[in-house]
Formats: sequence, C-alpha cells, structure tokens
Amino acid sequence: MVSNCHFVLEMLGYIWQYIYTSFLRYWLKWLLRQATGKCELQRICSGYKPGASRTTKAEYSLRSSKNKVLRGALESSKDHLEQCVDQIMKEKHVKAQIDPMFKGSLHICLLQITGYSSLYTSVEDLRKEVFLSEDPQHEAMLFKLWDLLMPEVKLESRITKQWGDIGFQGDDPKTDFRGMGLLGLINLVFFSENYTAEARQVLSHANHPKLGYSYAIVGINLTEMAYSLLKTGALKPHFYNAVQGAPELTHFHQLYCYLAYEFDKFWVAEEPESIMEFNQYREKFHNVVKTHLQDPSVCLRLTSSN
Amino acid sequence: MGLLSILRKLKSTPDQEVRILLLGLDNGGKTTLLKQLASEDISHITPTQGFNIKSVQSQGFKLNVWDIGGQRKIRPYWRNYFENTDVLIYVIDSADRKRFEETGQELAELLDEEKLSGVPVLIFANKQDLLTAAPASEIAEGLNLHTIRDRMWQIQSCSALTGEGIQEGMNWVCKSVNSKKK
Repeated sequence: MVSNCHFVLEMLGYIWQYIYTSFLRYWLKWLLRQATGKCELQRICSGYKPGASRTTKAEYSLRSSKNKVLRGALESSKDHLEQCVDQIMKEKHVKAQIDPMFKGSLHICLLQITGYSSLYTSVEDLRKEVFLSEDPQHEAMLFKLWDLLMPEVKLESRITKQWGDIGFQGDDPKTDFRGMGLLGLINLVFFSENYTAEARQVLSHANHPKLGYSYAIVGINLTEMAYSLLKTGALKPHFYNAVQGAPELTHFHQLYCYLAYEFDKFWVAEEPESIMEFNQYREKFHNVVKTHLQDPSVCLRLTSSN
Repeated sequence: MGLLSILRKLKSTPDQEVRILLLGLDNGGKTTLLKQLASEDISHITPTQGFNIKSVQSQGFKLNVWDIGGQRKIRPYWRNYFENTDVLIYVIDSADRKRFEETGQELAELLDEEKLSGVPVLIFANKQDLLTAAPASEIAEGLNLHTIRDRMWQIQSCSALTGEGIQEGMNWVCKSVNSKKK
C-alpha cells in the first residue's frame, strides 16, 4: 500500500513537472514580464545577490530558453561573451539606460557558467597527461614535492624507499599517479608550496604510528574526489560564489588544498581503528562535503587554525 | 524471456555466496580487475588505501570480492581478511619483472597460511596488453607453481585494462567452487 501511494505521488510529481516546464512556466514568465516590465534574466540579475543563487538561476533560465541566442550563449567562448550579452539584450528588448546593471551582471554570470566547463576541460587534460620519468619537468616536480615536505632530508636516489616517508606506496612514485595523472602531482605540489606549514602539519599527522595514513596516495585519492565533484557539476555553487568571473586552474588547486586539509582534520577527529577503514571514512567525508555544497552560500576555503 | 521463466527465477533459491579475496603487490591491477568485474569505469582508478569490496552476480553465484591494498605497509593487514575465503585470486603485474621475486615470496607466504589451506588459487598474469609482459608460462615456472599439491590452482593470462582473459579466469573460479562443494 505504502509503496503504491509513493508510486502515485511520484507519478503526479512527474506530470506536474511536465505541465510546469512545458506550459505553466511560460505563462508565468509572460505574466511577470507584463507586470514588472522586466524579462526573467533581468529579474534574476536584480533580485539575487551575485554568486551561486543568481548564477544558478540564470543558468537554468538560459538553458531552458526557447531562444537559440540565449541557449547558444552557454556554449560561447570567453572572448565572445560580451557580444552574446549584447545580443541577448537586443532579443529581450533590455534597455541599458533603464537597467544599467544588467549588462555587467549577466556578463559575470556567463563568465562563471562557461568558465566552469572550460575549467573541466583543462583539468581533464592534466588528468589524462601521464607522469613520465623521462620528462625532466615531471621529474623536477616530484623532487620539488620532496624538498617542500622534507627540507631537512636529502633523497638518496631517484628510486628509494624514502618515498614511503611522504606516503607513496613503493620505491618509485610514478606508478601511484595512475588514473589522476599529472593532476595528482600538481595538486600535491600546489598544496605544499602555497600552504607549506599546513601541508607539513598534515604530513606529520599522516605519519602518526597508529592514526596514520599514506599522505601522497590519500592526496591522489582526494584529487579524484575533487575531480569527480567537478565533473558532476557539484562544485558549481562553490565556484560561482568563490570566483566572480571565469574560474581558473589555481581555483581548482585551491579546492584540493581545502579537501586535503579538511580531510586530515576529519580523520584525526574520527580516530579510525586503522588505515583499513580508509574508504569508509572517505565516504563519510565525501558526504560532509556534498552537504556543504547543497548550501547556496557555500564557499570552500582553507582556513588554517595556525 | 517468458513469464514462466521469470517466475521460476523468483522461486529458485537465492544465489550462493562466494567469498573471493583479491591480493597481490601494489600496482598489480587488483582494483582495475574488480571494477572490470563489476562493469564499472576504470579510467579514474587511484591507489587503494585500505580495501574495496563489490558483489557481482555470475553463473548462479553471488561473488563478494574483497580487493585489499597491496602496498608493503598494509600487507600485514591481509591476514584479517583470510577467514572463510572460498577462492584466492592473486594478481601479478607481468611486466614488472624487477618485482617477480617479491611477488613470488608474498604468494608463497600466503600459500603457507593455515587459514588459507586448501583454498583454490587463481593467479592472474595481468597486463598482457603491455609489450614487455612476461607470458603466463614463464611466470608459472618462475613461481614454481607446478609444486603446488595441496589445492587446486590455475594461472590465467589477462589484461584487466582490456578485459581479455578475465571471463576465462572467473569461469575457473566458479568451477572450482562447485567442485569443492561436491
């Protein structure tokens, strides 16, 4: 019985959604346009503060528009966005004298929306780039990581068990990058370079004899978390709030730093039985992050307690 | 499928559960194999910290596959997962010749474990897609597999990346479970 009821409710929900998106939404928009003298995009840009709540609504409005010019703006390249905004204003009869803020607001929304997709493309390119020991630049990055984390200790050789001290699995880190490619290494280096004290603090927790974990491979795992959150679009609200323009790679690395620092805090506070519990706690932490991302005012910044 | 056969399926006893332990050195391809068995995306795999577990239906069995991380630091935890194992799958990176000795030692130690005595073992000579991979016959010889007398064993060349050879290996796993029960 209960499941039957549930089924009927779900069906009604679908029917309502269909009627709303195919008919009601347009009548409602038309009515509001007559009453306020503004189109939906204008109402969004003036009615919501800059950030995720505004940009998410603008994105939805553009995506569900019947007008090709509006939908096309979402696929536009960064340099053409100003033209796109002009075209949209023309299509929607928006007068710059009457609504002087509109142009700038919509431009920023579009920079954020299209910037998110191009950020994904750049991240994906780095992920696909395989770490090669024959590439001097790749090797230099690896040594840099060591020096930043272990300034007091010299590496005895390129292939050495010492790599285990910063949490690689074996004596050659190259096999640990795997599905995350260069992206994993760049994130590790970025964290150590820009938050050196925090990174060393996290490393010292990771090297705890009982509560420890493998610093580098957990870092690579958290890169995977950042990557898949980006891919599914879950990070949109964060980037729409954090960057008033197109997000860049550094913003993605910043997000990784947040995850690496926060995961460590979480792990230490939870006191897991052993490293074998890692995936359970990773999932728990993943859910905490996803809950944060449900909040329209979310902004995931590393705030150090030091 | 007709209605009758669907009804018959519903009526028949639930699948017999089989506990499979997936072990081997780090970077051998255990997680890729696990994901390949579960028909999941294998392009974003990262080193296993701890373990992964997945259940897969195959030939009337519910295979509960435990994929345990292979890094040296966590090998001491392997023994926590030995209990009630039906089949051991040992994965070898056939192209990593430098570590053949290490992988052979780990395997020999596993075969000496009391809790794993008599447990059938399938050795996957993985990464056959690589040009430098050693053939299964060479690995079998290097590991002295022919001296195993106390259990059923099989070596199967495969590529977890392309999926080649995996089905053959899993067929052997199901067969060995069946003959063990008889």
